[in-house]
Amino acid sequence: MIDSATEQLVRIRGIKDGILVTLGSGPYLDVYDQLVAEVSQKEAFLQGSQVTLDVGSRLLAREQLSELVDLFASHSQVLWTVLAEADETREAAQGLSLATRVAGSQTDLTGRPLSPSQISTTIEQPAQSGDALFLKETLRSGRSVFHEGPVVVMGDVNPGAEIIAAGDVIVWGRLRGLVHAGALGDETAVICALSLIPTQLRIADQIAISPNGSKHKPEPEIVSIRNGQIVAESWQQKN
Amino acid sequence: MSAKVITVTSGKGGVGKTTVTANLAAALAMQGRKVVAMDADIGLRNLDVVMGLENRIVYDLVDVIEGRCRLRQAMIKDKRQPELYLIPAAQTRDKMAVSPSDMVLVCDQLREEMDYIVIDSPAGIERGFRNAIAPADQIIIVTNPEVSAVRDADRIIGLVEAEEKGPAKLLINRLKPSMVARGDMLSIEDVIDILAIDLIGVIPEDESILVASNQGLPVAMTSVNGSSASQAFRNVAQRIEGVDVPFMDLTQKDGFMERLRSWLAGES
Repeated sequence: MIDSATEQLVRIRGIKDGILVTLGSGPYLDVYDQLVAEVSQKEAFLQGSQVTLDVGSRLLAREQLSELVDLFASHSQVLWTVLAEADETREAAQGLSLATRVAGSQTDLTGRPLSPSQISTTIEQPAQSGDALFLKETLRSGRSVFHEGPVVVMGDVNPGAEIIAAGDVIVWGRLRGLVHAGALGDETAVICALSLIPTQLRIADQIAISPNGSKHKPEPEIVSIRNGQIVAESWQQKN
Repeated sequence: MSAKVITVTSGKGGVGKTTVTANLAAALAMQGRKVVAMDADIGLRNLDVVMGLENRIVYDLVDVIEGRCRLRQAMIKDKRQPELYLIPAAQTRDKMAVSPSDMVLVCDQLREEMDYIVIDSPAGIERGFRNAIAPADQIIIVTNPEVSAVRDADRIIGLVEAEEKGPAKLLINRLKPSMVARGDMLSIEDVIDILAIDLIGVIPEDESILVASNQGLPVAMTSVNGSSASQAFRNVAQRIEGVDVPFMDLTQKDGFMERLRSWLAGES
């Protein structure tokens, strides 16, 4: 899910509040040319969209951002938000009255902070976004894990424990607590467990609870979003 | 001689920490050990009542810590067991009157002359709980076979693990075999399945516990042929001493005829 962003010069995808344009690595002029091409090509489709531009760690001067504002405007789009890791780029964007938010911060795409249940007090490791967090232990009640990437637990996740992950969550054990996969909006995220009896599961902005009274034999299951709904299915059928 | 400090805790209130503390202390003393029961529930003391020593309190734990008396003066000698003592909590103060390092200091003074120090922890996970586990060598987590108590016990196990106090032991209190048989109560297996720690004892629900507590007489001190709970507590004390005592079979109704029948059938 994160791979293509680094390979492509420009990546455009729809998000809840418009479109997200992610600039990949590479010489800025190449990226800019590619952006011009993409935006022109998809003009009809993107018309009227509110654009969030993720420039990553790239440094952009005020003139360059201004140029981008004009580019989108000339194709009937509004550059609304610039996501940047560098303070200089953010300051430049603010100078142009653009909204800013650190890429991958604990806010949703409109810049509103996530609700307290989504934010954990324990950030296990300041890992790079996309790196998996591996926990070889049982997460007991009261434990909260937040990670900006996939999480793998070798042990149980007990009721009262929670895992909030930007990526997939795999539990090699019994999942009885709360897991939120794709917490930053990734609807392709999945949750797997050897035994799935969760308090609640969330993927992106969907929430599901276990059906009542289902006392079938525990088996490995995989949970994903299918047709806008959270669905759990046997791991066996999947393979 | 260096005493072993055992802290009895649970997270949830009302699961029987105080009863367990009183009975374990009594049962260990009955095995000839020198035992101090210490109430760490400052402000809500109960252990003195359950042990029937309430009216003999002159000094308490906070008096010791704040230097108003010597440790020995706060130790109340039990009426029935010559080597059983109680250090009561203060009733008019709160948890902040004691710090975890105070508890370690007090216990270190007691270690010289005692075999066991059994500490009754308050409910909760705050200061009082921290005080109670600070000096512990062994932590016993009491739970009832019900979902909310097990949930709290799970939280406590996590906190104890973080303190690196070594593996905690589980004591399941107030089990009703008949309800388990009907599927209306979590079974021992259900509880262990969730908590995944070693079991040190199972105490059956027993009216004689309440009767004994109200009389200020720990049920473990009642006659050997008394209640099954009394025997269960004595078994736990034996396990603490390192004796491998088999768990009582609570699945059968303990009528004499039933036992005889199963014995004749060669099941026992």
